[in-house]
Amino acid sequence: MTGPDDSATVDGADDAADPDTGSTPGSAGEPAADAQPIISGRSVVKAYVTGGETVRALRGIDFRVDPGEFVAIVGPSGSGKSTLLNMLGLLDVPTGGVVELEGVDVETFSDAERTRRRKETIGFVFQSFHLIPTLTAVENVEVPRLLDRTPARTREAATDLLERVGLGDRLGHYPDELSGGQKQRVAIARALVNDPGLLLADEPTGNLDRETGDQILAEFDAITDEGVAVVTVTHDDYVAQFADRVVNLIDGTVRDDEEAVTG
Amino acid sequence: MRLLDRLWGSFPAVLMARRNVARAKTRSALAVAVILIGVVAIGAIGAGGVAFQESQFETLGSIGADLQVFPGEDNEHGYLSAADVGRIDRVSGQAEIVPLNRENADAIEGGSTVGTATLYGVDDPASLYEVREGSIPANWRSGVLVGSTLADRYDLRPGSKVTLGRTTVEDGRTVRRTEEYRVKAVLAQAGQADIANPNQAFVLPPSEFDDGAYAQVIVRAEDATAANETAMEIKRTFNGRRQIVSVFERGDIAEQIDEAFRLINLFLVGIGAISLVVAGVSIANVMLMSAIERREEIGVLRAVGYQKLDIVRIMLAEATLLGALGSLLGGAVTLAVVAAINDALLGDPFAFPTGSLRYVAAGMGFGVIASLIAGIYPAWAAARERPVEALRG
Repeated sequence: MTGPDDSATVDGADDAADPDTGSTPGSAGEPAADAQPIISGRSVVKAYVTGGETVRALRGIDFRVDPGEFVAIVGPSGSGKSTLLNMLGLLDVPTGGVVELEGVDVETFSDAERTRRRKETIGFVFQSFHLIPTLTAVENVEVPRLLDRTPARTREAATDLLERVGLGDRLGHYPDELSGGQKQRVAIARALVNDPGLLLADEPTGNLDRETGDQILAEFDAITDEGVAVVTVTHDDYVAQFADRVVNLIDGTVRDDEEAVTG
Repeated sequence: MRLLDRLWGSFPAVLMARRNVARAKTRSALAVAVILIGVVAIGAIGAGGVAFQESQFETLGSIGADLQVFPGEDNEHGYLSAADVGRIDRVSGQAEIVPLNRENADAIEGGSTVGTATLYGVDDPASLYEVREGSIPANWRSGVLVGSTLADRYDLRPGSKVTLGRTTVEDGRTVRRTEEYRVKAVLAQAGQADIANPNQAFVLPPSEFDDGAYAQVIVRAEDATAANETAMEIKRTFNGRRQIVSVFERGDIAEQIDEAFRLINLFLVGIGAISLVVAGVSIANVMLMSAIERREEIGVLRAVGYQKLDIVRIMLAEATLLGALGSLLGGAVTLAVVAAINDALLGDPFAFPTGSLRYVAAGMGFGVIASLIAGIYPAWAAARERPVEALRG
């Protein structure tokens, strides 16, 4: 990911030529140079009008996320992290620049189309889990597919996913019967139920202790091995260290990775 | 996966709605209660009105499409002659006609008058009256039929004897006639509006009266339209400038009474409907609160790929579920209330008149529809919210 003032791009597209696929800052997981990014942006600007003032949350940034990489977006509060995550999740559209999902400009999508694409391609893990309290663990995982009217297949997929995240014995539990780590794992299973290409996680370990956080990170690692890109917004250095690539966002622009500011 | 789960799986919106209704139990119960009250208000008022109407008709008796022809105010005789009856018969076509004599008489016991009564002279009493005790002789030449009230008052039964005194004009002289008759039958109690109400009367064969001096002629028309035409025809035949006969159309009265009942009932049901409007507002309120409370949840649904219309559907399913619950319970309560009304007014709790169940069904239908309509705005408000805003909290 790069800012416009960073003419020398530091994102995966250029580094992909490098056979080193380690966790060198600025390099992607394992993309080929000509591989299509799952999502990319050019000169993306997002401005809000709040209280008569125009706030420029993103000031023209470039980014790309390739399949299978684990990207951590860090930066202080108000740096535009959440805005960027919303943009990646098609929950928001830029006021300037272009965002492309699998090579298609999201601007061309209607609201319904964007919603459909979101469902097909993107999984969300929210900071405070956002499980639906009236539904059991397995039903929560099923939520994104509930309206598909394939109850048997959906139940099977949801059960598999919960077993995979180690909650095979908690299928019928309601969220208030689960610990924080268990809830987050249910949330991850929910994010994966539609086999997304991109998983977006907002402070996925924010409400968890270190040990539970480790489990979640290990889970993300396993997911990226299957070619799913994981992008997480975090305040946590520990998570940033775990990532293939760290994008440091300050005041709506991307800073050089070496000067990463977290917290 | 159990069958039930599969079934619910086919209606995911209903599954979510059901869980949400169960989540805020008190609030849902209150919403159901207002719908229930609305449904009971419409159903019980409507059905109760029908039962009341029914009970009123029981007291009034049948008001058919019959015509009554009386001597008009310009009629010199003050009665209808045999020739008049003939003409009425001719213009009435197929309709059966019953000429009726009428006089006043005294009931006499032990030589002294104990009361007054009406005397009717009817050629074929079986066509007008029903019998409580005894029977009307096939060859009706003698004897007397007694109305139920008089029978009870003077303790008359078939076979008893009764003495009647009356004043008649014979050969230009006023004569007092006292005669003894044997009671052949006691007539069944008739409704207040029945033709030639016999309750306070004695019915004699026409031979006991002056020949060709009828107090009225009843024309038994087939229906209200035929009655109306016949009435016009009779008036045309008899009345020029002078009113020789007056015609009383009972069908008109029946229609007016029906119409009055209908309007009263409509008015009452309208009042009941207001309570359902209130119930709708309350459902809208509950749904709005639910939407606000679940703002983030709905944001999550939108984020994971639920379309706006999916959200609308889930919220509407919830509102409809509340309405359906309220309507079902309301329907049951209404039936109980109407059964009590039926018992009180008609003497049988299960004597649901035809129109009455229709009001119950209408109340239940309106209950569901009102809830559905009330859910539209909150559902749309919830769906319209941008997921980014909703998730921000």
